[in-house]
Amino acid sequence: MTSASAGVRYQMVNVRPGHVIIEHEQRGQRARAYFSDEPLPPIEEYREGATTWHYSGTAQSFQFDVRDNETGEVVSFKELLGLLYYACAKEGSPIRELGAIAEENRIATYLALTYEGPDGSKSVLAPAKVRVLNRLFNERLTTPGKKILILPDLFDLYRSMSYGEIMLDFGLTSMEPDGR
Amino acid sequence: MKLKELAEKLELKAVTQLFDKEVTGVYISDMVSDVIANSKPGNLLVTIQIHGNVIAAANLVDSAAIVVTQGKQPAPDVVKMAEKAQIAIFTTPLNQWQVATKLYECGIR
Repeated sequence: MTSASAGVRYQMVNVRPGHVIIEHEQRGQRARAYFSDEPLPPIEEYREGATTWHYSGTAQSFQFDVRDNETGEVVSFKELLGLLYYACAKEGSPIRELGAIAEENRIATYLALTYEGPDGSKSVLAPAKVRVLNRLFNERLTTPGKKILILPDLFDLYRSMSYGEIMLDFGLTSMEPDGR
Repeated sequence: MKLKELAEKLELKAVTQLFDKEVTGVYISDMVSDVIANSKPGNLLVTIQIHGNVIAAANLVDSAAIVVTQGKQPAPDVVKMAEKAQIAIFTTPLNQWQVATKLYECGIR
């Protein structure tokens, strides 16, 4: 990570570029995502029990850890899929309403969305990690009066939302062969 | 250098209010993940992207403003999003390299 450690307690470290692979299960219409740090995103379909998973799409992304420069502790954020900015959420959704109120008070609201577990269960970002994320971004702000508020996925959006709403880089994977 | 002065020197066209701030550097990228990982507060974000997620990333890392290159025009909902976040968007017909050279000439590193 390029951020200078001088003067900041929390620092993004061990940045690992890669891809968010989105896949779907044909029969059940389920979709899920996982992170791959392979140079080329894997696209092969594969079986998992009675289910066959098919490649749906790729977005460039990264994983990172956060180091506490005071204690030396390094916190992993492997379970973090991405951040959803309130204004990119669906019109009329609770996060959109909440974020609009917060923004009037110079608070920019984001939801920390996580990858699902292998069984489709919700993976929750621990409150302590959410606090670290908030400190990481807030301690760098220079605009007077501005605050960042990163919340855990209180609204269970991880299932219902489009992956395109999350801060991911779709359509930028230049190394994919044609026809995918 | 203040945003207003820089915008005048580069002949940038504002599509939002100015939200004048100090520009402390520049970051050129078309990837939101790259911006989140590497851009610093006060940086001018130069990009060709006009998606709402660019505003989301710029707001998160406290960018001074966004310069959209090659004449791209953000949609009204994206402009509105930037206004609410108090992040100015400018457009220019120049490409990113041309913007970079002009910024360098202005002393922005």
